[in-house]
Amino acid sequence: MASAPGATDPARIKKISNQELMIVWQDGHQSRYRGPVLRGQCPCATCQDEDTGQRLILPIHVPDDLEFRRIEMVGRYALQFEWSDGHRTGIYSFELLRRLCPCAGCRAGASVRT
Amino acid sequence: MTAQNTPLSDERVLAELRKVNDPDLQKDIVTLGFVRNLSIDGGAVRFDINLTTPACPVKDQMRDEAERLVEAIPGVATVSVNMTAEVQSSPQMAKGALENVRNVIAVGSGKGGVGKSTIAVNLAAALSGSGARVGLLDGDIYGPSLPIMLGVTAAPDHADGKITPRESAGLRFMSMGLLVKTPDQPLIWRGPMAHKAFQQCLFDVAWGELDYLVVDLPPGTGDVHLTLAQSVPMTGAVIVSTPQDVGLQISVKTLRMFEQTKVPILGIIENMAYYICGHCGAKDPIFGEGGARRAASEMGIPFLGEVPLDMAIRSQADLGTPIVVADPEAASSVVLRQISEQLAAQVSIRNYNAPVLEIE
Repeated sequence: MASAPGATDPARIKKISNQELMIVWQDGHQSRYRGPVLRGQCPCATCQDEDTGQRLILPIHVPDDLEFRRIEMVGRYALQFEWSDGHRTGIYSFELLRRLCPCAGCRAGASVRT
Repeated sequence: MTAQNTPLSDERVLAELRKVNDPDLQKDIVTLGFVRNLSIDGGAVRFDINLTTPACPVKDQMRDEAERLVEAIPGVATVSVNMTAEVQSSPQMAKGALENVRNVIAVGSGKGGVGKSTIAVNLAAALSGSGARVGLLDGDIYGPSLPIMLGVTAAPDHADGKITPRESAGLRFMSMGLLVKTPDQPLIWRGPMAHKAFQQCLFDVAWGELDYLVVDLPPGTGDVHLTLAQSVPMTGAVIVSTPQDVGLQISVKTLRMFEQTKVPILGIIENMAYYICGHCGAKDPIFGEGGARRAASEMGIPFLGEVPLDMAIRSQADLGTPIVVADPEAASSVVLRQISEQLAAQVSIRNYNAPVLEIE
């Protein structure tokens, strides 16, 4: 789990392609996300049951060629994506994004499945 | 005009000015680029010191030190220092919908009745009095109090599809209270309406160029807070607390909320810190003593100052002019002005150290 100072504060956010996003965190860690995977982890109320937390949309439901249409900052604490399927209601806090880091090291101790 | 061993030069003057430090930014004023328009004419030296806020708490100290050091250089006959200021924009703000607003500062509290609006209006008026361009937005959709405190209740005008903010006490301000037809008309709205109304008060107002936009939040943690945190990259938030409320951990909740949305906490202000008896002048800490100061130091947050429970603050607010404007020399005005300077200093520190984040 990310708990070091700056672990949930991004130093750099880079859209590498329409399907790939990189975040370099202030603790030096680097996360590279695949768009379609992130879409399947969308935290909004249509994609995840508000009461039970049960996922209604899973990565397997997302077509592999899904792309970012737009990426925006939400205040200072989150990113909001607009996807090529038109969905855009998910607010991904930096805390969530750090937890979703797909690198092997983070997956080994992760609490969130990808 | 005796030019002794070393002739008087820009370098010689700048070398002396490098000894003057900005205590907040912890660098010297030459490195910080504050020294401008340096001119030497015979023995007459002139320069500007351009600070990051006109409300700088150590403005006079820096000017005096600069003057003294340059005067001591052999060959210098007169020194004339012109103090100027240019408020820096919070790095994230410049790209957003409020691009002409350099800093958005939220004033929040854990619960109602701690004097948050009174503090907000006085801080805003004090910043404006220092020479800054200041806006004030009433975030309390359901119980707006700023129109009364600023003595303006008439509906604002419109121009080019934007609302023209009302002006009072040197501030441009906007409040839901200006939009309802009669002062006693209640707003009975569900959350989404309040969210929309607040966004309009923020984005559909022709604020013009502002150094600081102070947002007076409703008490607690809720719709408006979240809307604000999601809509603009705030420079930071100030928490107003009574000594008692800190003991009850109520304002800590508000603080945690700001932390969760990564809004920097600029500091805590303790209101109603003590009561000065109108008859004998004795100071009574009726809600307890030093609570907010202790809490701030435990949490590593700047403590911006304490404001007394002073009848004059309340009565001036009821009359529609903030005390810092109505009676600038009153003890409470002095305290409030000092707090506004501490706040401005914290904003400058944040902006100086803030990383610029963009989606590349």
